[in-house]
Amino acid sequence: MTDTFLTAEDVDKSFGITHAVNHVSLQVARGEIRGLIGENGSGKSTFCSLLCGIYGLDCGRFTLKGNELKIHNQVEANKQGISIIVQEMGTLAGLTVAENIFLGHEDRFIRYGIKHTAAMNREAQKLLDAYGFTHINATLMIDNFHFEDRKLIEIVKATYFKPEITIIDETTTALSQHGREELYKLMEATKADGRTIIFISHDLSEVIQHTDTISVLRDGMLIDTVQSDAVTEDDLKKLMVGRELNKQYYRTDYESAAGDEVLLEVRGVCVPGQIEDISFDLHKGEILGFGGLSECGMHELGKAVFGASFDRKGTVTLKGGVRIHAIPDAISHSIAYASKDRDNESIIVNSSIRDNIVLPSADDLADHRILHKKKLDRFAVEHAQGMSVKMTDIDQFVSDLSGGNKQKVVLARWLGKASDILVLDSPTRGIDVNVKADIYALMDNLRLQGKSIIMISEELQELLGMCDRIMIMKNGKINAEFSRSPALNEEDIIVKML
Amino acid sequence: MKLLRQFQKLKTNKILGRYYGLILLALMAFFFFAVFKLLSPANFGSLDNLYFYLQSSIIYSVGACGFYFIVVMGLFDFSIGANVVLSSIVGVLLSKQFGYIGLLFGCVLCGTLIGFINGLLYIKLTIPSMIVTVGLMLIYESAAYYVAGGVKQVLDPSMQAFGRAPGNILLAFAAFLATNAILKYTRTGTYCYAIGSNEYTAKIMGINVNRQKLVGFVLCHLFVGVMAVLSVSYGTSMTATTGMTSMARNFTPLMGTFFGVAFRKYGTAIPAIIIGEFIIAIIFNGFVALGAPTTVQNIVTGAALLAIVAITAQPQKGAVAK
Repeated sequence: MTDTFLTAEDVDKSFGITHAVNHVSLQVARGEIRGLIGENGSGKSTFCSLLCGIYGLDCGRFTLKGNELKIHNQVEANKQGISIIVQEMGTLAGLTVAENIFLGHEDRFIRYGIKHTAAMNREAQKLLDAYGFTHINATLMIDNFHFEDRKLIEIVKATYFKPEITIIDETTTALSQHGREELYKLMEATKADGRTIIFISHDLSEVIQHTDTISVLRDGMLIDTVQSDAVTEDDLKKLMVGRELNKQYYRTDYESAAGDEVLLEVRGVCVPGQIEDISFDLHKGEILGFGGLSECGMHELGKAVFGASFDRKGTVTLKGGVRIHAIPDAISHSIAYASKDRDNESIIVNSSIRDNIVLPSADDLADHRILHKKKLDRFAVEHAQGMSVKMTDIDQFVSDLSGGNKQKVVLARWLGKASDILVLDSPTRGIDVNVKADIYALMDNLRLQGKSIIMISEELQELLGMCDRIMIMKNGKINAEFSRSPALNEEDIIVKML
Repeated sequence: MKLLRQFQKLKTNKILGRYYGLILLALMAFFFFAVFKLLSPANFGSLDNLYFYLQSSIIYSVGACGFYFIVVMGLFDFSIGANVVLSSIVGVLLSKQFGYIGLLFGCVLCGTLIGFINGLLYIKLTIPSMIVTVGLMLIYESAAYYVAGGVKQVLDPSMQAFGRAPGNILLAFAAFLATNAILKYTRTGTYCYAIGSNEYTAKIMGINVNRQKLVGFVLCHLFVGVMAVLSVSYGTSMTATTGMTSMARNFTPLMGTFFGVAFRKYGTAIPAIIIGEFIIAIIFNGFVALGAPTTVQNIVTGAALLAIVAITAQPQKGAVAK
């Protein structure tokens, strides 16, 4: 593990006035698992995108085994022994699982211009079975699979050809515990094979546990590279933010500010095949958590409350008797929703920060149905700055923002709408410690203002740390309910999840 | 409703599930046939009539197959009709010199060239395909007028083998087989779907998106060229007209393409185009048999198309339709 394998020399990239990667130089050894951490917007994903040819370099160069890399897209990267599992969805709807796995690499199945589909399907199925993903049928359209399975397919796509370097960009948050274990096993096997992994994650304990060394980026610059077994999470946090992180992460109180007043009553809610007979009350000033395995139905429940589920049965009733049937009912009655699938369901990626923030408030901001740009600008600036969105200005496209800043835009939108009930599905997914702390503080603040939050999360620690009550779902039903208590721990919850 | 649910259960049947789309299409064709046969037993639906409907519908089916390549990529083309007119006229003129070779190559090469020009300009000008092809449609209409010298171009009776069976059926089915093979057994098919799904992701996966779009336009208009052979052979002549009148020729192929897109999830895109066009022909000729005015025919044909696609497409609930 001593010979230099991959070298980045003075790698630099700017997007407009944003200096995303600032003259970064580093070396990675053969057979090493290198962690790459940093706050949102620190340049981790951009650095890896440069390595894979998704973006072109402004200056600097990458060398692999002493040879300079000239890469323009992922297929070229793959051919030179580099692959990436991207943070968001990296598979294409409308194609089969097999077509997705071999997209761009069909040559081996093509003779005289004719694609041998059956052979491709057979090969894909063989790979899926070898990875232990036997429940995935290679001939089916990928649209039939949910987010986690599509991530598993992406893992196969990125690694089946045994690349010299595999980049895993914030993938574990999309996976259940089982999926994560599979990925960790794959990482170990890759290392044992003498191949290298660059592992990006905001879960610092995971990074320390599963890497050999860790490089820390801040504001596009390389701050340090440390041995994983010689650092603590606090050391890494300090390197990431450049100072002691003295923000309190979770709530420290154990007395609920929630009263008896019920703001939202959910009764007998079912969505065929997803959730069954869900009933609960949400109180004023309460953070109500929902946890469970990824496919337990909790994510669908968030949609069902917001009126975004189809074929929903049962009732969602606000204090005062107003029934929520559809999304317009929810929004007009002060209910907000942030989806787990941020890029596809929460934000309009190819639109400005301003447009994303003002969208649900446009009617409120209009004078006699006429929108005034200055007023919209003021509104967007106020709420974007209120959430400390890292941006050049409100005209910047959301697609340029990091995951954490995208989430801040989503929250700014709903805070601007002055929502009383927030349904937040995986609100800190793919978000760094600093922004996480901001979001937790915001949630706590909202709770104290008498607003109510439904927090859906696969992170047990944040459920324990933030919620007044936690409901654990299993197979689409509520399996257990816990009240906030210092004595409550992860093991108590896990027993009810499995 | 209960019957419909029972029928939908077929989808999960191991054997019949594979043919669900075809069964659905066949039932729809039978339904419309039965309705018009009951309403007009004397004038509609004899075996000879059905054979006639099939022969007229396959012309549009060939164009629809071409259209399918660009529609699945999220593109559009308004110059299909203008291409049919221009390619037909070029084919007729060349047939006078070179016989069937002139007719076939004239139509197909002219059609393909138009596809190349459309694709190239769309890529180079980087403006929406709809706008590019509306502009080009006007140019092709005028070009056809000049090439034809302002007069009707009549195909010599000795050159009309592709206007009647078996010539038309053989040529059309060769085109259907070719389309199906390209979609299923070449990377072009996969890439068309990938670009339609997410162009950016397709691009970073190494697909040369612009080149693929150009290939899509070329294939589209190659089949439109074949449609021109069938059209002019069936109609025996072609008159060039200007003022966007060729636009009307776009819509019947497009309706067939909608069937293909709607039934793609059942793995039967091309059969859906063929049977879909046949259904449209049944409806159209059914109204003719009933003596209904053209306006009523158009209203009911349009409504039937919407109803069929809406019912059969059955996208995942909550999915966004654009």
